[in-house]
Amino acid sequence: MRLVRCFPYVIKQVTRHRVRSMLTVFGIAIAMFLFTSVQAMNEGVTEATTATANDTTLVVYREDRYCPATSQLPQDYQRQIESIDGVTSVTPMMVVVSNCRTSLDVVTFRGVPKESFLSGAGKGLEVIAGSAEDWLIRTDAALLGETLASRRGLKPGMRFDAAGITATVAGIVRSDNPQDQNVAYTALEFVQLAGRDRLGIVTQFNVKVADSALLDPVADEIDEMFRTAQEPTATFGEKAFIGRLADDIIELVGFARWLGLGCLAAVLALVANSIILGVQSRVAEHAVLQTLGYKSRMVAVLIVAEGVLLSVLGGVFGAAMALGVARLGNFALSVEGTSIPIVADSELLLMGFVVCVVIGVLAGLVPAWQASRRSIVECFRSV
Amino acid sequence: MSFITCQNLTREYKKGDAVIRPLDGLDLEIPRGDFLALMGPSGSGKTTLLNLVAGIDSPTGGSLVIDGTDLAKLSRNKLAAWRSKHIGYVFQLYNLVPVLTAYENVELPLLLHDLSKRQRYERITEALERVGIADRADHFPRQLSGGQEQRVAIARAIVTDPDIIVADEPTGDLDKGSAHTVMQLLQTLNKELGKTIVMVTHDPKTTEYATRTLHLEKGRLVEAEVAA
Repeated sequence: MRLVRCFPYVIKQVTRHRVRSMLTVFGIAIAMFLFTSVQAMNEGVTEATTATANDTTLVVYREDRYCPATSQLPQDYQRQIESIDGVTSVTPMMVVVSNCRTSLDVVTFRGVPKESFLSGAGKGLEVIAGSAEDWLIRTDAALLGETLASRRGLKPGMRFDAAGITATVAGIVRSDNPQDQNVAYTALEFVQLAGRDRLGIVTQFNVKVADSALLDPVADEIDEMFRTAQEPTATFGEKAFIGRLADDIIELVGFARWLGLGCLAAVLALVANSIILGVQSRVAEHAVLQTLGYKSRMVAVLIVAEGVLLSVLGGVFGAAMALGVARLGNFALSVEGTSIPIVADSELLLMGFVVCVVIGVLAGLVPAWQASRRSIVECFRSV
Repeated sequence: MSFITCQNLTREYKKGDAVIRPLDGLDLEIPRGDFLALMGPSGSGKTTLLNLVAGIDSPTGGSLVIDGTDLAKLSRNKLAAWRSKHIGYVFQLYNLVPVLTAYENVELPLLLHDLSKRQRYERITEALERVGIADRADHFPRQLSGGQEQRVAIARAIVTDPDIIVADEPTGDLDKGSAHTVMQLLQTLNKELGKTIVMVTHDPKTTEYATRTLHLEKGRLVEAEVAA
């Protein structure tokens, strides 16, 4: 309660040296912007590559291939895979990307058999604009993931061109699966025929199994089935498959975490420096507070509160900026047709807030402890 | 029984190997409602005695009992709580917080007490009116003259209605006119509100406002006299 009553005093102390405080807050904001952005990428990697008990999708790829342009499997593998016990659906997919390199703005076309897709692999898609009926009727129609549509500013009825394919937006879909958020679903034949004739050839099969416990045995059975075929397969759980293709990105994001921690260290140093300067210039003032009856603990709390206020001001601003940029940009790290979204949600803002509070407390602890331990008389003598 | 009783009061500091003893076995009794002026050369121990009475320093020997409370036996935290109730301190250099207005400066000690905003407002207004500076409540210290700053400092010292006001050369940084105003104010607080005042001063003229003056030298009392 006393701290609440004293909070205006804390605010006045923080705004006492406006330029110094503003520079500190600005520095914290930049550092927290970087930290939060790295965290958003890290969240995306975790979300896209960490398997859960609900995962029931396998991806069948050409063995020893890491790129949709080189993974070519006969479409008739579908019937053989469907015959395996535990398999509930098989979706052949032709994947074409606008850019083979890692980029924040890749358009990935996934050609799928329209008739079976919406009731099978695409069951979890929610059409939020346009209609699935239009998509089924039109040959060049595409269902766009929400992130892609937003990033490219595409709406139902609009035509767009990417990777040498011109398609019409029939609808925009929302999905919990990061891989659905950044793709354009079109008819399989439409993609197979785009550019060159690849009818009968697909990039991969997405296989749904009845239970997550069946993922490994079914994967083994598929690979065993085609072990001696002309086009042998390598089958993975969907998340593991993404982890395999996006290995470079994951490594980079992992390294970026160290940069994020470096940003936190910078925030800590900035806040601590500001608080130490403030405390050193107010030795007599703290002695006066104690003379008035403020306990040394209370003086320490007031100093720590200054650190927390500075840290939170800059940190929340920086985290909100990162959130805004990520949301407005709708970025996703794409590589080889897989997509790793940059997950910027309110949880990230909350995490930024908590991190800032912790850093503010840590930064204020030592100067607060020093200020609270000084003898009042010594303080008056020293000024 | 005296309100403030010092028995064989001693304060020692260590400076390297040397032991400095600004107060050396001082015996003193101050009745409630007294206005005591302490005089003496620099290093005579008067400020040390003031700081001990104010509870911002602790004796290394002897005892200091104020209204039945032995200050030497109080912990640091309990001493702080005791100060907030019983002591109003007036500094030579006012020591107002520069980023706070006169009103907010006077409010500082009240923030430690469980008072509503309205109650705080009433107390602050009363204190500022008593020192004749209510019209400057919204002014920052830099917008006030030295005399006005000291009056705000006195308002801050009396706003919690303490029993004792300790003043360390309260007119040391003021011109003659302001010094007279401040001393009159202290005298009024002593006479009308019955506050016990212990004041350190170098200025013999200010002792005229006190009820008695004591001289210290080398940590001991050398003489006592009653003011006019």
